[in-house]
Amino acid sequence: MNQDLLERYLYAATRRLPARQREDVAQELRSLVDDMLSDRCGDITPTEKDLRVVLTELGTPQELYEKYSGEAGKCLIPQPYYSTYKLVLTVVLACAGGGITIANGILLMLEPQEGMQAVLSWMGMLWNTLLGTFAFVTLLFAFFSWRKIPIGNAFDFDSLPPVPRKRERISRWECIAGIAFCVVFLVVFLGIPQVFFAWLPETGERIPVFDGEALRRSWYWLALLAVCGVSREAVKLMEGRYNRRVLGVTVGTNLVSAAAAAFWLTKGSLMNPDFLARLSQFFGEGEEVVITLFSHFPLFFLGVMLFALTLDTLEAAVRTLRK
Amino acid sequence: MNVDEVVSGLILELRRGTLILLVLSQLREPIYGYSLVKTLSENQIPMDANTLYPLLRRLEGQGLLSSHWDTAQSKPRKYYQITQPGLEVLEKTKAYWKAFSNHVDQLLEGTI
Repeated sequence: MNQDLLERYLYAATRRLPARQREDVAQELRSLVDDMLSDRCGDITPTEKDLRVVLTELGTPQELYEKYSGEAGKCLIPQPYYSTYKLVLTVVLACAGGGITIANGILLMLEPQEGMQAVLSWMGMLWNTLLGTFAFVTLLFAFFSWRKIPIGNAFDFDSLPPVPRKRERISRWECIAGIAFCVVFLVVFLGIPQVFFAWLPETGERIPVFDGEALRRSWYWLALLAVCGVSREAVKLMEGRYNRRVLGVTVGTNLVSAAAAAFWLTKGSLMNPDFLARLSQFFGEGEEVVITLFSHFPLFFLGVMLFALTLDTLEAAVRTLRK
Repeated sequence: MNVDEVVSGLILELRRGTLILLVLSQLREPIYGYSLVKTLSENQIPMDANTLYPLLRRLEGQGLLSSHWDTAQSKPRKYYQITQPGLEVLEKTKAYWKAFSNHVDQLLEGTI
């Protein structure tokens, strides 16, 4: 009989089990196969064919591994997380892909490129963006499933949450729009900041408002802003109502977002120096207010973001806490 | 609709919990896995070895069974036996099973 076949079978079945179980399981299976062979052959010495029949009856090494490890049917993102994961992933990928494609279209109209080069640059950007967003959403939901964050699927009647009052309800579309906004924000600022430009009608010149290189160098702040936004909206989408968890996540992510925005917009200049130098040329000498506004644009932008984050936090607080 | 498929799915679900109860009931004395497969099969309860062996290990992990290797015989074998918590689980589940199967029978036979 081919002992080597049995050992290869046992090795394949047990090699992914925890180290402390491996030898014990293999030894037990060895004794089982021996019993099954004795049962089948009686006093006759078993042949390799008998061994193959017995091993086939026992199942494939993969089946045995799944049964011993208890991992049959397990997956990274099981239900009830899977439904929300699929929805968020669809929205995020569609927004990222659509955003990149539309932005590239606009860029192409502004700065015509050779066809092949344009297609390659679009595909490269699209691939990187889709891969990054897919990885982020998957990791986020894998974390939710791993920590078994409850998402309103109570088992006993008493812990079923009451039907949310109208004020407490969160519409799916509100969350989807929020996620879409975060993704488009990230894609536009990181991928194609050139779409923000000032146009001089006399000469036909286009002067970018932002310094694209400086924006790309500060990618981590932008990414953190988007991660905070998508995480907050994903939790809202799963809960479907304002409650203390949503309020906690909203306050937490908005605080992190505010800090990230402050660092992003105040550390170093994100504006195109050429644009700043020529402000008076764009707006005319008399428009002091507009010129001052644009020369301090990052601070103005920070003000708008902080205002929006404060409003969002207040809205969550009011809708959660007001009786 | 494939009737056979539905039936085998239902049977699988019916057997799942019942087999654990039967396995616990047969382990008042130390028994090794293959001997238990044979005992069950002789009593018209066929159970694949590749289901029973991992189940024995899981029940042992839950503290319902204990095990030891007997190397004194010609073939080394691992023997399993029910523990005190295992006995408590067995008795409670058995009482439930008796009442439950009784009511199921009555309903199925239409005597209620």
